[in-house]
Amino acid sequence: MNDSLPLYDGTTVINTNRLTKAFGNLVAVNDLHLQVMQGDVFGFLGPNGSGKTTTIRMLLGLIRPTAGRAILFGMDNTYQLPAILQRVGAIVEMPVFYPYLSGLDNLRVITVNSGMVAGKANDHRLEEVLEIVELRNYAKLAYRKYSLGMKQRLGIAAALLNDPELVLLDEPTNGLDPSGMIEIRHLIQRLSSLGKTIFLSSHILSEVQQVCNRVGILRKGNLVKQGNVNELLRASEQIEVRMSRDDQTEYAQGVLRQAQQQGADWIMDVTLEQNMRNQSVLMVNAPAFRSAEVNMLLAQNSLFAAEIHPREGSLEELYLQVTTSSPSAGEHVGMEALAQAPGDTGIETPGKGKGGNK
Amino acid sequence: MSGSPQTGQGVQVAAPARRSTVIMGRQDFVSVLFRAINAELYKIRRRMMSKVLAIIGILFIIAGFVILSFTVASQAAAIAQKPATEFLPLSCIQASKQSCATQADLAKQAALQSATAPLHLPNSFVNAVGMINFIGLFLLVTLAGTIVGGEYHVGTIRLMLTKGPTRTQFLLAKAGAILACIAITFLVLVPTGIITGTVLMFIQAPGIAINFSFLTGMWVLHALLYLLAAILGLFVYTMIALCLSTLGKATVAGVAGTIVWWIVEGALADALGLLASLGRGPLNDFLKAIPDYFIGNNIATLLSNQSRYLEGGQPTTASDLHALLVLFFYLIVFIGLAWWVSERRDITN
Repeated sequence: MNDSLPLYDGTTVINTNRLTKAFGNLVAVNDLHLQVMQGDVFGFLGPNGSGKTTTIRMLLGLIRPTAGRAILFGMDNTYQLPAILQRVGAIVEMPVFYPYLSGLDNLRVITVNSGMVAGKANDHRLEEVLEIVELRNYAKLAYRKYSLGMKQRLGIAAALLNDPELVLLDEPTNGLDPSGMIEIRHLIQRLSSLGKTIFLSSHILSEVQQVCNRVGILRKGNLVKQGNVNELLRASEQIEVRMSRDDQTEYAQGVLRQAQQQGADWIMDVTLEQNMRNQSVLMVNAPAFRSAEVNMLLAQNSLFAAEIHPREGSLEELYLQVTTSSPSAGEHVGMEALAQAPGDTGIETPGKGKGGNK
Repeated sequence: MSGSPQTGQGVQVAAPARRSTVIMGRQDFVSVLFRAINAELYKIRRRMMSKVLAIIGILFIIAGFVILSFTVASQAAAIAQKPATEFLPLSCIQASKQSCATQADLAKQAALQSATAPLHLPNSFVNAVGMINFIGLFLLVTLAGTIVGGEYHVGTIRLMLTKGPTRTQFLLAKAGAILACIAITFLVLVPTGIITGTVLMFIQAPGIAINFSFLTGMWVLHALLYLLAAILGLFVYTMIALCLSTLGKATVAGVAGTIVWWIVEGALADALGLLASLGRGPLNDFLKAIPDYFIGNNIATLLSNQSRYLEGGQPTTASDLHALLVLFFYLIVFIGLAWWVSERRDITN
């Protein structure tokens, strides 16, 4: 297998190549191929312990990978980490600051360590970021007296200090109340509109669905899905069909499968399930707008549906689907998968642009 | 940044201009390091613990000279109570009465001068440095252990290492800040000690004049070398604290480890000296030579070799070069070990 990365057109901000981290026998991240393009709002999803934070730490150079490489802005973070970090702002898990310093003093320390000049030259910038996170009135309060939400907001202020191009946010809404979460969502949208690339690790799927244009889903250290949110959701759309007679359900399944084999390639799968009322139904994995065509296929075979429910895909369903099912070879996004056509895996090739779900 | 060369990975993503309110500094290794040292000193200056340690240091020096002044005062009082005739030099037996009386007065004055010497220059300088060497060890080791171990304990190392400075720069910034703190300690506490001693001397033994004839260019040079030797000594101990705090990821590892080292080393040197003195032979010579490679003994060598120029005394048997080589060896080992560990360490929770 060729270990070198393909040449990109200069818009790939994060590109990992077989990134792997093992802690003893435990493989936290396995063979990760992640791509984040310039301007993306990339949602990084996965259950607890799936390797999200380990991945973020590897991207930031806090953890050395066992194998593979992480390329940010076209630079290998093993050799050019300081140059990379100049262009990155990050929150890794719950941000921690010096408890004996005020919020403002903490930011002053970070200002100097972020490559910015010391002294009063950057005072205006400090005011700007404090204003963004609405901590201006609490700037001189000792950090140890901050509430959880204020600490989180200070973390965001610290991440934005040097006006980075890439903002890595690991669970940024942890500890925030609903209005705080909404503010963070607006902030992410505002940063995105300014051309920043956002890498957002979050458990709040509705939030990710609202702000992210692309997502990657990790499961037990493996990237099981990566791609444009709209395309992935479209792929998870289903049509629920209940036949007028229960004994027709199996026959209808055969009809639809036959149609799939005969050219109706928009039908991905047809399964027999029980609905909430304990009735036998057919679940047709197909775009919701194909409901009429499903009805027509059945009617052509003298089969009549009592109910047809197009179900739009949600990130939550997709997430549950990929994180609870056993991984199949087709799901694993490795080097081989990257080499496939984009339509096969739901993975965009660099430079293809974003569908946008904002 | 946009003009940076391409890597083998493909085209680098060009960096857009930052906001005009973001004023970046130079990004070369030394500039980043000095900014990181600046940030460390800012943190030290802002924390209450540093202020408490500074107050403890100042109070210790003042208390040290106050205690010294009581000893000096009792000796001076005893001398003052004696009649001048008791200080009559032997040569006065055949001399005229008038000149003998003058000589006796001068001899009494000299005895008073000698008794009060620990409180005034040049001896007060050496005494002040000696006191700082003792209390400074505890205070600065506490500071060093805290500023390194605290980063791991609180978790701020995660924040700092994602901001730009490399791990090497981060470690060197800690060492640089500690060195600056040691220098500041001496700059503040030595004058504090000298002034306190002089004031106390005027209170306890009024009428004693200080003779500044010692103050030559050579004396100043050796005083400076004496200070540098003392700074180096404390720096070696603080680097043990830095190393152990890095290894143990905790303040207590650095502070306790260094103090234990200091105590054990001193006790071991005494024990080995005692064992060596019990007999003669190659084994005894070997045992006697071992403390020559201890940190404390080599610091003492450097200080003794300079103090003889400041207040008299005999040179030690060990050379400055030997002492310096041993101390630099320790510095390389401790800083190197801390660097090696921090370079390879994964920063997790």
